[in-house]
Amino acid sequence: MSTATTTPTSTAPRPRTIDISQDEPVPFGRLVAVETRKAFDTRAGRWLTISIVGLVLLVVGVGVFAFPEDAQDYVDMLGVSGGVLGYFLPILMIMLVTSEWTQRTGLATFTLEPRRPRVIGAKIAAGLGLGVVVLAIGAAIAAVGVALSPVNGGEAVWNLGVNEVQNFLLTSLIGVLVGFALAMLLRNSAAAIVAYFVYTFILPAVAGTLEALVDGFDKVAPWVEFNTAQTPLFTGDYHATGEEWAQIAVTGTIWLVIPFALGLWRLVKAEVK
Amino acid sequence: MIEVNGLTRTYGGFTAVDDVSFTCEPGRVTGFLGPNGAGKTTTMRVMVGLTPATRGTVTIGGHAYRDLPNPGRHVGVLLDASAQHAGRTGREILSLGARTMGLPDGRVDEMLAMVSLSDAEASRRMRNYSLGMKQRLGIAHALLGDPEVLILDEPANGLDPAGIRWMRDLLRGYAARGGTVLLSSHLLNEVELVADEMILIGRGRIVARGDKQSLLAGGADGGRASTVVSALDRDALAEALHQQGYDATPEGSGFRVAASTADVGRAALEHLVVLTELRNGSAGLEDLVLELTSDTQREAAPAATHDTTGAAA
Repeated sequence: MSTATTTPTSTAPRPRTIDISQDEPVPFGRLVAVETRKAFDTRAGRWLTISIVGLVLLVVGVGVFAFPEDAQDYVDMLGVSGGVLGYFLPILMIMLVTSEWTQRTGLATFTLEPRRPRVIGAKIAAGLGLGVVVLAIGAAIAAVGVALSPVNGGEAVWNLGVNEVQNFLLTSLIGVLVGFALAMLLRNSAAAIVAYFVYTFILPAVAGTLEALVDGFDKVAPWVEFNTAQTPLFTGDYHATGEEWAQIAVTGTIWLVIPFALGLWRLVKAEVK
Repeated sequence: MIEVNGLTRTYGGFTAVDDVSFTCEPGRVTGFLGPNGAGKTTTMRVMVGLTPATRGTVTIGGHAYRDLPNPGRHVGVLLDASAQHAGRTGREILSLGARTMGLPDGRVDEMLAMVSLSDAEASRRMRNYSLGMKQRLGIAHALLGDPEVLILDEPANGLDPAGIRWMRDLLRGYAARGGTVLLSSHLLNEVELVADEMILIGRGRIVARGDKQSLLAGGADGGRASTVVSALDRDALAEALHQQGYDATPEGSGFRVAASTADVGRAALEHLVVLTELRNGSAGLEDLVLELTSDTQREAAPAATHDTTGAAA
């Protein structure tokens, strides 16, 4: 090849501006579809989802044969599958956010849609959509579990009420959003997952220990620890009193609203590396 | 098409990009040249909104990047070909981009064909890609939306010689059709063959700009001719040069003369001196680049033998 560098091209004036008057912004639905696809198009994402459903299946299966008879009703079965989902769904959500940084896909994602809150919104929508589907599968598996309980000499008890469904959805949603907030704050898969498990396992344990050791802490704990505050939602009569809702609101502000707002702010400001 | 105005980006006390201004014209390839860490990547990242500017503005086609409703359809970006999920296949990476931009899936196949990635290669996962394959995929990703502007950071990195030529032809053709290309490199020979205009950057500041000729003219020798010559009879050559009034300084076995090779040859002919060597001794572009960025280099540049200070732009 010759070393000529200045082959003259057409001298016609070229447009120096880009006409965007006909442009449509990237529709939100399309962003959601792309983000949903991202949760499945890698082996890690696909197997995480499959493992979660498989684990629910396993736990309910064990429940049918091994639970005492009075724990084979639908609410208990749902509680078991909900527990499994509650721990693993947030991991799915965390990965949706943190992989943009740890795998550096954010370079492409945020150049194709520079309005970052829209991308985050799409991730939340995609994550919740996935969450609902997995929860529905979990509920269906639990139903099969209940239907099968006569095999073990039990009785199929269908005792699901509005409160149970509402609380089940609410606590799952809270877990997923807390995971999301931690992911935005930390932007690192391992750190965010560890932080989530500290939040969900260690904090309630610490609160419980303090309640046992420190006089009067049982009055304070529901006002400062989110998991403790949520306990009335999935125990007893599945009904939270006005004070208990207030505790959920207060701890929710501390553990969800503030971290979420801070995380979103950091993510919008952050350099995408 | 791309207008950078007084762009500055600082990190604490460190200034990565220092009051940089330049323009990239449509129909031209603009080369962004400088040593590692000179601020090329930071400048490009600010252009596409990945890094906020501390001061200054960048517009592309008259708009801030974040104001483009569907930027992928106007601006093709390749900042780091390795920045893709290791577990995704090449085809999947393009599909995600095509879907975000609202392009038909057929566009993915077109682009794969254009960058010569076979079906088998496209269905491999990124972690199994060579750097050259990643670069081709990155180029395909940048061209997906048929953009008017291309911003490419070190696109030739990892390409084999055939790949580099392919890239060069691709970018020349793209610019000839009216596209605007900004490509960065730390390797001069990657840039000088393709760029209509070069912007030299060192330690965050633009140190020179222009096409190859004007850079050379403003460079080390200030455009003055310089010839290296030696002869069988060294004294006769010295005498001949002296009589013609040329300023000759001994160098190696001969002389360096402040005159063109034609003039020196003519002087030798008139004085019947047998030459053993006659060549252009002007500093090449490479010397110039090293020299211009020498005080910004990490290593002292031994190749920059001229002690003339660089032409600050």
